[in-house]
Amino acid sequence: MKINLLQAFLIGIIYYLSVNGTPWLSLLGSTVMARPLICGMFVGFVLGNPIQGIIYGAAISLPFLAYISAGGTVPMDPGLAGTLGTALAMASKTTPNVAVTLAVPIGLLGTVIWIMHMTVDISFLHLIDKAAANADYRKADRIQMYLPQIFLLVITVIPAAVVVYFGSGPVAGLLTSLKGVPMHILNVIGGVLPALGIAMILKSINNKNILIYYAIGVILAVYLKLPIIAVSIIGLIIGLLHTQLEFKIVDK
Amino acid sequence: MEAQQTSQTQSAKQNLLTKKDVQRSFWRWTFFSHSNYNYERMQSSGFLFALTPVLRKLYPHQTDLAAAMQRHLEFFNTEPHFGGIIGGLTIALEEQRALGAPIDDTAINSLKTGLMGPFAGVGDTLWQGTIVPIMLSLAISLSAGGNFVGPIFYIVGMFAIMWTIAYVLWMRGYYTGREGIQNILQGHQLKMVMQIAQIMGGIVIGALTVNYVTLSTPLKLHLENSTLKVQTGILDKLFKGLLPVAITLLAYYLINQRKLKSTTVLFILILIAAVGAGFYIF
Repeated sequence: MKINLLQAFLIGIIYYLSVNGTPWLSLLGSTVMARPLICGMFVGFVLGNPIQGIIYGAAISLPFLAYISAGGTVPMDPGLAGTLGTALAMASKTTPNVAVTLAVPIGLLGTVIWIMHMTVDISFLHLIDKAAANADYRKADRIQMYLPQIFLLVITVIPAAVVVYFGSGPVAGLLTSLKGVPMHILNVIGGVLPALGIAMILKSINNKNILIYYAIGVILAVYLKLPIIAVSIIGLIIGLLHTQLEFKIVDK
Repeated sequence: MEAQQTSQTQSAKQNLLTKKDVQRSFWRWTFFSHSNYNYERMQSSGFLFALTPVLRKLYPHQTDLAAAMQRHLEFFNTEPHFGGIIGGLTIALEEQRALGAPIDDTAINSLKTGLMGPFAGVGDTLWQGTIVPIMLSLAISLSAGGNFVGPIFYIVGMFAIMWTIAYVLWMRGYYTGREGIQNILQGHQLKMVMQIAQIMGGIVIGALTVNYVTLSTPLKLHLENSTLKVQTGILDKLFKGLLPVAITLLAYYLINQRKLKSTTVLFILILIAAVGAGFYIF
């Protein structure tokens, strides 16, 4: 499939909207858009096949399932992985597992854009400082709303559109030429990568008994084959019971 | 003034602001909190942007307004939905100050900086650590085969849940004021919610590992007159999901105990998978 210039540009816009904190869909909206499942669907719309977009997006979501960005640090960029990963996968019609392997390194590159954004914004902050010293709230508002966003628009849309427009052909050519062992390797990597997201979330939960609860979840899924919603409800009940009992003892 | 001091400043009956003003600030925060996110002072200008209409109303004189605007350009960083309670509280404090209560710059800023950490901790665990993985894994299972139900469920569900939490906390911050928030922080409530979320998160993550990490081995043992498949004949009999859980726990060990960066662990996982797949171990 050939991706034209307008499509490449629109995919760049989708990526821009997925950068943490872009205001137009609200902060929450930007984090929703950053999930590969969601931005993958929109990329699918742009490329004329939203169903394919959802399938690739769902797969690419897995390594980022438990992705956490806290304190302004962004270890990876799921939005870039989701938009470019889905676009390149659709252009080359590869398997969802290979799409994951393709998308994750792309997600790492996104951190460069984030660091530029967080650094250059400092100069806009200093402009707001000056406006505040003169009580010029209109100017402060305008800077806050537009300047950082214009800069961000430039550094997100251009690279994303360029990669999609010029990269989809070569990537598709490369992936279709891969068979046998190299293809098997890419598939296995794609299956293993979700483990990283899960490990990161286990760490961030930061509870000394976490592995005990983790084991309960594993057993519920392996031996009882319960769907996620049932596991969530059982998790909530266990959490409630444990916590109420523990705090009852503490109170006494 | 005496009456005000005895009953703690924020319970004064007078109000300069209406509910609409507080709501307006909430929406400005909801959309623009991170518009100018930066390494120097993080959400500071977003916080100012949210409070600007309130400050304009409270401080009609230009010098007061300039001082107030500069006061809210100090370093600020929290989880934007749960931490919204700090925004509501700050509005209440500014209102009392404008009414003449003895609240100085340091009082406001130390309160903001004192609360932003605890609420960021709770907020990130609940939002990114519990709500997102649960909602997203539900959405992924609903979108099997490219079904639109999954993405729509995630979009609608996330906005409904997070905006409700954010709005309620922002308004609560304004109405309960300083004492109310101290009580929330000192009481068991917050710790309990946090622990329930941690336990629930841990259990759900365990189930997710089995559903979404895929790793198996094609190895076969050639016995005298039959072949034994290692995966179905040995590993699955020991414990189904052994390999996915093992690789996940290895990643957790490297990140948590060995304190490796997530990118380093990423490369280690890729290396293990690539070498294993190259030799047909996986």
